[in-house]
Amino acid sequence: MGRYLFLTLGVITLVLMVFSPWAVPMREFDGTGYLLNPLGAMNPKGLNLPEGLSFGWLGIFFVLWLLLLLAASIAMFLPSPEIRARALYILGGIGVGLFALEAYLFYQAIAAVNDAALAAGARRPPLRRFALSLGAYVGLFYALALLLAARMQLPGGLAFLVRLRGVVVPLVSLLLAVVAGAGVVAILRPGLGTQGVEGLGLRELIAGKLDLVTYTFQILFSPVLTLPGLFNSLAFATPLIFTGLAVAFGFRSGLFNIGAPGQLTMGALMAMLAGVYLPLPSWLLLPTAIMAAALGGALWGGIVGWLKARFGANEVINTIMMNYIAASVLLFMLAANEYRFFGNKVVLPFKAEGFEGRSQEMQPGARIPTMIDILAPGGVFSWALPLAVVAALVTYYALRRRELGKRLLAASGAMVGGFVLGGLLPGVPVTISSALASQLLNGSFLIAILVLLFYNFYLFRTAGGYELRATGLAPRAAEYAGVNLRRKMILAMVISGSLAGLAATHYVLGAGMDGTYRLKTAIPSSVGFDGIAVALMGQNMPLGIFLSATLFGVLLAGGVLLNAQLGISNQIIQVLQALIILFIAVGGFLPRYFTDPLRAAQVETEAKAEQEARQAKSSPAAGV
Amino acid sequence: MEIVEALFFSTLRQAAPLLLTALGGLFSERSGVVNIALEGMILFGAAAAAITVNRIEVATGGLEAFWIPWVGLLVGAAVGGLVGLVHAIASIKYRADQIVSGTAINIAALGAPSIVLQVLYNNTSASQEVQNRLPSISIQLGSFDGKFSIIVLLAFLLVPVIWWVLFKTPWGLRLRAVGEHPQAAETMGVNVIRMRYTAVILSGVLAGIAGAYLSIGFLNQFIRAMSAGAGFIALAALIFGKWHPLGVLGATLLFGFAQALAIQLQGGDILPATIVQAIPFVLTMLVLAGFIGRSRPPAAVGKPYDK
Repeated sequence: MGRYLFLTLGVITLVLMVFSPWAVPMREFDGTGYLLNPLGAMNPKGLNLPEGLSFGWLGIFFVLWLLLLLAASIAMFLPSPEIRARALYILGGIGVGLFALEAYLFYQAIAAVNDAALAAGARRPPLRRFALSLGAYVGLFYALALLLAARMQLPGGLAFLVRLRGVVVPLVSLLLAVVAGAGVVAILRPGLGTQGVEGLGLRELIAGKLDLVTYTFQILFSPVLTLPGLFNSLAFATPLIFTGLAVAFGFRSGLFNIGAPGQLTMGALMAMLAGVYLPLPSWLLLPTAIMAAALGGALWGGIVGWLKARFGANEVINTIMMNYIAASVLLFMLAANEYRFFGNKVVLPFKAEGFEGRSQEMQPGARIPTMIDILAPGGVFSWALPLAVVAALVTYYALRRRELGKRLLAASGAMVGGFVLGGLLPGVPVTISSALASQLLNGSFLIAILVLLFYNFYLFRTAGGYELRATGLAPRAAEYAGVNLRRKMILAMVISGSLAGLAATHYVLGAGMDGTYRLKTAIPSSVGFDGIAVALMGQNMPLGIFLSATLFGVLLAGGVLLNAQLGISNQIIQVLQALIILFIAVGGFLPRYFTDPLRAAQVETEAKAEQEARQAKSSPAAGV
Repeated sequence: MEIVEALFFSTLRQAAPLLLTALGGLFSERSGVVNIALEGMILFGAAAAAITVNRIEVATGGLEAFWIPWVGLLVGAAVGGLVGLVHAIASIKYRADQIVSGTAINIAALGAPSIVLQVLYNNTSASQEVQNRLPSISIQLGSFDGKFSIIVLLAFLLVPVIWWVLFKTPWGLRLRAVGEHPQAAETMGVNVIRMRYTAVILSGVLAGIAGAYLSIGFLNQFIRAMSAGAGFIALAALIFGKWHPLGVLGATLLFGFAQALAIQLQGGDILPATIVQAIPFVLTMLVLAGFIGRSRPPAAVGKPYDK
């Protein structure tokens, strides 16, 4: 069956290569482009390419890819698995090489024309928004599939995949979600540049649609290409790290916390109350405000945990109800100043003057500076943060023999020392572009990293964390071993809630919403739901959560650009998240040994037994 | 005492979507599938109904005819059923965690309509208003002239029907058996998988009708997230009503009354509107904590079925 699946893959690749654009040397702001294809360029809106630009080599590559597809299809039917694997490895390597060569030739040609035009005195480069496109990408994907198929031919191939199931399932789900999302976009929008043009052939129409979906995802992923874009992505990712950790912490303890939005809202309220009203010295104010954010979330989560432990009330519905109640509380506090209770007038001081529902401004001591101000205060690059990170890491790894508590304590000490020392060192003046300076990424990102570390060490390195995970995996067994389930339930919800509450440090104390140090009723608490996708995609692992939060941060940043350029609602990100959650829930439609740990172990054991049998056969002397 | 009558009719109007949704959830959960996706199914149904009616109106140049809202209702129900099918495939065929799969549908229901709305109306939060709404019935109660949509009537008529189907027909017995002990039911020749598919799709259809009622019966347009937690409250009503149609009727009437009361109190100077809006949610939590009676779910609910 695998072979025919592989042949189908080859046919799909071929069809996409024939119909989709391979590269787009220039594109208008609205997305209309000049689509290159080996079988003839497509140019529905009649854009003019500058002189001296030739892409004749595309035809040669098309022939090469055809040969590669043919050779791979034949290689799949070679009799010996070893020879089959070797042939597929070589072909896959050639494919990757072909793609690299295409990329080199294309960007080289574009750069030559643009540089020449700029040298001749053009104000702007003539070719803009150029990029390789789907026709070239499918070649790369096919080559990677060849490499994977080669590994699968060798003994233990399946066990190799199953061992990596923590990566395979999220990646397959992401891929499926991207394909499904592309389908949605293709159905809803006309192809780029094909609207209102008469007499287009079927080939142009299909190419236009394929170009549309490719460009959509190119825009969505484009923030990774620039430094301001990366900062923007991380700013979107920061609250996702917190809420993703909150949801993951619940999952690990066997609870489903859908209440991150409410916990975040309460954290934001408490942080605002502390940051605006507490008369504390500034060195104490910020830590107190951060603790207040955690406390607000802990309270909101803890109530649900207590209700479950005491009355057995389902935490799923209760956390959702708490979301609505928190939203009401937020509105009550900040939407108006005056209320009537049974005819009596009550005045609340929290809402600031103006039409918008927003709090007073934070005291200066309660503000978290932006990341740019931490990295390069006053335009001078400071060694404080890099040195702190390096010192902490070096200390942590140097003390490998000591027990964990001492290592962590020493590493924290080294971090503070490094920070102070780095601050004293002379900095390097740097120029910061205005695009970079306006990014909302702030010190809350560093708190997120610290919380990630807490999650890692608490859950996986302490007895308490072990008990929590045991409770999540097998509550009965944990109880038999002496774990107090009710206490753990409340504790889990308290910690989970406080993690979600800390997301408020980004929005309120760090001004991550729009650059003002206030709490607003428009605070995007729905990132609490995004946390579910982050936790599932990250498989509840610390590194996984960081990576998936960053991925969604990039997509969210890209969604803003997408809305501006193509007029596609950035709600598409939400749909992608929903699809990813759904696909991960069904295990990416993969066989059950990818999702069921018992069956996975069975596959691995079988592979090991097979390998041992083979070794015994090849070296009979080692036997009896 | 006009306020009492107004409150009475308002309660009926508020309870109807909860009742429809909870009755749908009744099928699903009685068959052993947790359906937290009810909220999303309402939203998909509401969006489909409003958009269908609006598109027909645009295509016919603003025609006003009795059949148009019914087509909208049908499409809303069908889309609800389709979403139910997705949930069924994920949780029955692929043994997904039913709560995770339901959450995915709920999140999709917040985003997907916006994308379609943007394409059709260049607006991500609301559809255009429709002219053809589902018909209303007027009832004279004393001096008070009460008006409610025909769907409200339908919802309340469904209660005895569903009671009869669940407890007096062989099909109902099989459904309950599947939710209590699927292995035993299978031994007796019941097709567990097919029963569960039917039940989950049916719950989607009913939730879709509830959504259509919200968008083209209660209001005249689709608004993003317009269900405002109705699906979750319906789930709570299901628990509170002990997974029994009559219990569900009582529970939804209670929640409907809380919402009606909240609307009546708004704008008055007894309690601020923002506080009043939270009352149904607090009530739900009190109910779930068992302060107002305990209940036992179907034994096999939430567990994927393995032959």
